[in-house]
Amino acid sequence: MTKAAEAWEGPTAAELKAAGAEAIPGGVRVKGWVIRSHNGPILNSASLQLFEDKLQTTHLPEMVFGESFLSLQHAQTGIRLYFNALDALKAWKHEALPPVEVPAAAKWKFRSKPSDQVILDYDYTFTTPYNGSDALVQNPDSIQTSLDEPRNLCWEDSEDRIDLVALSAKEPILFYDEVILYEDELADNGISFLTVRVRVMPTGWFLLLRFWLRVDGVLMRLRDTRVYCSFGSDEAKPIVLRECCWREATFASLSAKGYPSDSAAYGDPNLIAHKLPVVMQKIQKLKLPN
Amino acid sequence: MGTSDLDRQIEQLKRCEPLTEAEVKALCLKAMEILVEESNVQRVDAPVTICGDIHGQFYDMKELFKVGGDCPKTNYLFLGDFVDRGFYSVETFLLLLALKVRYPDRITLIRGNHESRQITQIRVIDRKQEVPHDGAMCDLLWSDPEDAVDGWGLSPRGAGFLFGGNVVSSFNHTNNIDYICRAHQLVMEGFKWMFNNKIVTVWSAPNYCYRCGNVAAILELDENLNKQFRVFEAAPHESRGVPAKRPAPDYFL
Repeated sequence: MTKAAEAWEGPTAAELKAAGAEAIPGGVRVKGWVIRSHNGPILNSASLQLFEDKLQTTHLPEMVFGESFLSLQHAQTGIRLYFNALDALKAWKHEALPPVEVPAAAKWKFRSKPSDQVILDYDYTFTTPYNGSDALVQNPDSIQTSLDEPRNLCWEDSEDRIDLVALSAKEPILFYDEVILYEDELADNGISFLTVRVRVMPTGWFLLLRFWLRVDGVLMRLRDTRVYCSFGSDEAKPIVLRECCWREATFASLSAKGYPSDSAAYGDPNLIAHKLPVVMQKIQKLKLPN
Repeated sequence: MGTSDLDRQIEQLKRCEPLTEAEVKALCLKAMEILVEESNVQRVDAPVTICGDIHGQFYDMKELFKVGGDCPKTNYLFLGDFVDRGFYSVETFLLLLALKVRYPDRITLIRGNHESRQITQIRVIDRKQEVPHDGAMCDLLWSDPEDAVDGWGLSPRGAGFLFGGNVVSSFNHTNNIDYICRAHQLVMEGFKWMFNNKIVTVWSAPNYCYRCGNVAAILELDENLNKQFRVFEAAPHESRGVPAKRPAPDYFL
């Protein structure tokens, strides 16, 4: 989301070679994984119509990057993890949270209104429980834009934790990207976005899928999904951990704790995440297919 | 402030170079004198070129002037949202304001909701000019056309109206107008007709936020009110002075 301070030239040939990795268009091939990303434009009228039909709604975020994706595929096991806007919005539609009133709503309750008015009640914040799409791909060459396959992957609850110490090591980065899936400014009432970032190192890959919502003066929601794969010794048996952490707080509750209550103090979710109480947390391990 | 001073300032602003604080203050005072004389419902005669959101994308606005022609040769109507999002909000608005002061009859500027937000976030400025949450001004700023209703709808935010095709038809009929031209909503193709050509949205910020990949448009009306949309793309990357797009990697956790 931030303006890049300087251009990154990518990994050096020596770094790739030392890791046994190979740069491919839009991604990298390493330790049996093919990791690719794409940043496309927002939906045009025709693809917008397609999304509206598929989702059975006429209400979509202002910016939907419908062609953008992040894909991580493991050839030997057929594991494929995939992140895209359509599946994320399907999950939004399914969760269907009640709308959040903005502060100005209080004043609007007392103003003159047309007699035949319809009150729209969809979740305009586009809050989504999406934590990625997954599938078992039989034919590793098939490329699909959305995964509707019957065989999904199996995730089991786990006591393991993502190894933050290993992730803090300043290893060479073989591939890095940030893909914005959708974004909306809530008609100037705050911000809502869903992005996924990935970094691939010689010892593993790590991604952060983040839904961030701030309705100015009302509430904030941060729903993070972190997925980490440590390459380990056996290339055929990757260990993949997924940690979901949802945080949420109202401005009123933050203010009661003595934290600032103006929106300007909550611009960067990285800096304020710790101030938002955790409302849901779960850690799962990917069960390797037989 | 003389004409030659103003012309020099306009040339400077066209190069995206800021003015001094004293110059900005003098410009604002002069603009106030002009704007206070304009009526709330401003008459604009054709030919005129109508522009939508700019959002601080200064170099893309220069593309707009390349396509539409320079002011004062072209008569302009800007529908607001000059600031926010792009890297050059101040430069963008100052250039438009300087043009307004220099050629008051050849450019009309309407205040958008982003101009309201910027101003009301600065606490030291007297806030009595904030748009109230009732009445015509409010409805003009916070209402959007909506396919899902025929008549009126209330936004799920609890503030802001939505209006459907019937409302637009009856408004156009009552006021004896052909169609409404408005801005404020991003459209990939630069403009979008709704409700059987009764309302059109014009969007003039190409590649919005430097990553949406959309084209922009302006609407030219000739002296007989014949319409022509002029579609344009973002300024070439190298002419914008914006950092390269490839994100620098960071060790996020």
